[in-house]
Amino acid sequence: MPYRCVHCTKTYRDGSQEVLQGCTCGSKFFFYIKEEKLREITSQAPEEFELTPTEKKQVEEDVREIAGVTDEEMPVFLDFESIRIIKPGKYLLDLGKLFAIDKPRVYKLEDGKYIVDLAAKVKPN
Amino acid sequence: MLRIIKSFSRRVLASLFGRKSTVKIGFYGPPNAGKTSLANRICKDWTGEEIGVVSKVPHETRHVQFKEKVEIKHKGKNLTFKMVDTPGIATKIDYEDFLKYGIKKNEAKRRAKEATQGIIESIQWLDDMEAVVIVLDATENPYSQVNITIIGNLVARKIPILIVANKIDLRKADIKKIGAAFPEYEIVGLSAKEGTNMDEFYEALFRLAKKT
Repeated sequence: MPYRCVHCTKTYRDGSQEVLQGCTCGSKFFFYIKEEKLREITSQAPEEFELTPTEKKQVEEDVREIAGVTDEEMPVFLDFESIRIIKPGKYLLDLGKLFAIDKPRVYKLEDGKYIVDLAAKVKPN
Repeated sequence: MLRIIKSFSRRVLASLFGRKSTVKIGFYGPPNAGKTSLANRICKDWTGEEIGVVSKVPHETRHVQFKEKVEIKHKGKNLTFKMVDTPGIATKIDYEDFLKYGIKKNEAKRRAKEATQGIIESIQWLDDMEAVVIVLDATENPYSQVNITIIGNLVARKIPILIVANKIDLRKADIKKIGAAFPEYEIVGLSAKEGTNMDEFYEALFRLAKKT
C-alpha cells in the first residue's frame, strides 16, 4: 500500500525505509493513499490533447496572467509541474506540490514548455 | 521557529500590556462549503457588514478577502482578530462545470482562470495565518484529497485548526462522519445560512485563538 509525502508528494511503498525514517525532502509526514486512487492521480497527467494554435496562444496568455509573469522571453524547463492546463479553462492542480513551502509554482503549457512563477516566492501584502 | 518566536513575542507583549494583539484567522476549505457564508455571518453579527458575495455557483470567491479587525464579545470574553476568507481549494477546475449554471462559455473560462489564481493565492496566504477554521460541507464525503491535503499541511506547519461542519440545516448533513474522518480535531456543526449553533462556534473560536 503506498504512502504519499504531504510536502513533496513523492510516493513510497508500505514498509519503505523512507516511510519509517522520513522522506528524501526531510518531511516525516505522509498520508496513506489507496492503490486505485494513486493510479487515478498518475493517469491524469499523461493524457494528451490536441490544441489549436489559437488555444495554445490562449493557454499561454492565461498562464502568464495567473502566474503574474510579464517577461515573455523567460523560458524555464523543469521536470515537475504543479498546475497543468489541459485546454483554456481546464486546469488540474497538484495540491501537494502547491502546498510545498520551498518550491516555486510551475505551470506546464505543453510538453517541454513550462513557466515558473518566481513571483510566487514573494509573500502577499 | 519563526512562528514560535512570533507567538512568544505576542504573549510577552500581551502580558506587558494586558491584552492580546490581533490574531490572524483564515477560513479555508473546498469550494461551496460555505466559507464566505460563515465569514458573512460573523461579520454581520459583530461588525454589521458582510465580507463578500455568496452564490450556488462554485468558486464565487476568487480572491482572498479580509476584515482587518473583528471584535467578538462573548460571555464576558473579548477576542479581536483579522478575518481572512479564502477562495475554495480544488484539484480540478473545468469551465464546463460552470456552464450548467447558465454562465456563458467565455465568462466560464475566465471564472476557471480566476479560480485557479484564487487557489494559489489561498495557499500563499497560509504563511501568514496563525490559526485556521476549516469549513467543510457536512452533506459531502469528508474523505477527499483536498480535505486531507489541507489538514495535513496545516498540521505539518503547526497551525492550530478548528473544523466546522457547515450546512447542518440540510437533511443529508452528517457531522458524525466528519468526526470519524478527523477524530483528533474539535468539530463544530453549524448552519452559517440559518445562524444555527453560532454560540458553540464562538466558544470554539476563543479556544482556537488561545492556541496561537
